[in-house]
Amino acid sequence: MPDCSENFESEIDDGKNKRLVKCKYCSSVILTPASATFSSFEYKLPLIKQNKGNVVNPETEDVLQFWVVNDMMTFYNVGFSNTVGSTKYLTCADCETGPIGYYDIPSKISYVALSRESNSYIIFHMIMLCNI
Amino acid sequence: MAKTYDYLFKLLLIGDSGVGKTCVLFRFSEDAFNTTFISTIGIDFKIRTIDLDGKKIKLQIWDTAGQERFRTITTAYYRGAMGIMLVYDITNEKSFENIKNWIRNIEENASADVEKMLLGNKCELEEKRQVSKERGEQLAVEYGIKFIETSAKASIRVEDAFFTLARDIKTKMEKKLEASNPPKGGHKLTPTEPMKKPTSWLSRCTLL
Repeated sequence: MPDCSENFESEIDDGKNKRLVKCKYCSSVILTPASATFSSFEYKLPLIKQNKGNVVNPETEDVLQFWVVNDMMTFYNVGFSNTVGSTKYLTCADCETGPIGYYDIPSKISYVALSRESNSYIIFHMIMLCNI
Repeated sequence: MAKTYDYLFKLLLIGDSGVGKTCVLFRFSEDAFNTTFISTIGIDFKIRTIDLDGKKIKLQIWDTAGQERFRTITTAYYRGAMGIMLVYDITNEKSFENIKNWIRNIEENASADVEKMLLGNKCELEEKRQVSKERGEQLAVEYGIKFIETSAKASIRVEDAFFTLARDIKTKMEKKLEASNPPKGGHKLTPTEPMKKPTSWLSRCTLL
C-alpha cells in the first residue's frame, strides 16, 4: 500500500493541506484544500482490521503525521464513531473505512492521519451522482 | 474562523434494525477471526457537504442503529432535527409495516414542521422483494410525504436520498425567511411560477 506519509512534505503548503484529502479506498472527499493544518506527534491509532479477540484492547500502530481540524464542520465528508473514552474515531463517510483519525472530545479538535488518506486535485464524486 | 457553509441541517435516519445500512461500496472483509475496528464500535453520525443552487450545505446525519431495539426513540434524539428519513427494507415486510409506528413516534416527539421522506432500501436482489413499489408510493401519499426507492442500477443510495430531503428543507426555510422579511421596494414575487428551477445538478437527478 503506498504510504503518503513518506513524502508528506510536498503535501504541505503554508502549513496547510495543499490538495484534497480523500479516502484511500473509495476516493470520497474528506477535506478540501487548505482546510486543515499539519502537525507531527505520536499517537497510537487502532488498526483498521482487528483480530476478533482484540475487541477490548485493539491492536494499534504509532501514527506520526496529522491534519488538524479545529471545527468538525470544516470536514467535507466524514463519519464519527461512537465514543470510546474521551475519543471518537473518524471514518470515511462513504465506505466507512476507519479509523482514519480521531476526534478529541474535550478539545473538540479532530486529527486525520496522513498515512490513512490519499491526496489529489480532482473532485469527481459529485458528478457521478448525476449520471442516473 | 469564517464559516465555510451557508446552512447546517440536522437529519435523522429512522427505521427498523438493519434497514438504514447503506450498500457500502467497499468494506474490509470480515470473517470468523477478523473484524474491523469501526464495525465493532459503530458510527454515531456523519457530516456531509452538498451544493444546492450555489449554497454550501452541511448535513449532520444521525443513524438510529442500535437505539431502535427499544422500539421508541426519545425526544432528546429528535431535538433540533430538521429532516427525517424513514427507511424500510423492500425485502422485509415487517420493516415496512413498522413505518406507521415510526411516524407515530415522530408525531409524538419531533417538531411538527420536521420534513419527512419515505425510502425503500434495496441492498439485496430484486427476487427477494416483499414490498412492491406501489405500496411504498401509496403509504407516502397517505402521509403526504415524498417517496423514493434506492436502486443499485442507478446507484441511488440511502444517503443520496438525503440530498432530496435537504433541498426540501432549504426551500421551506427560504420561504419562511421571505415571509418574515418581505422584499423591499414594492416588488412582490407572485407565486405563479413553478418552484422547480433547473439551476443545479441535483434538479436534473429526478429521483421521484
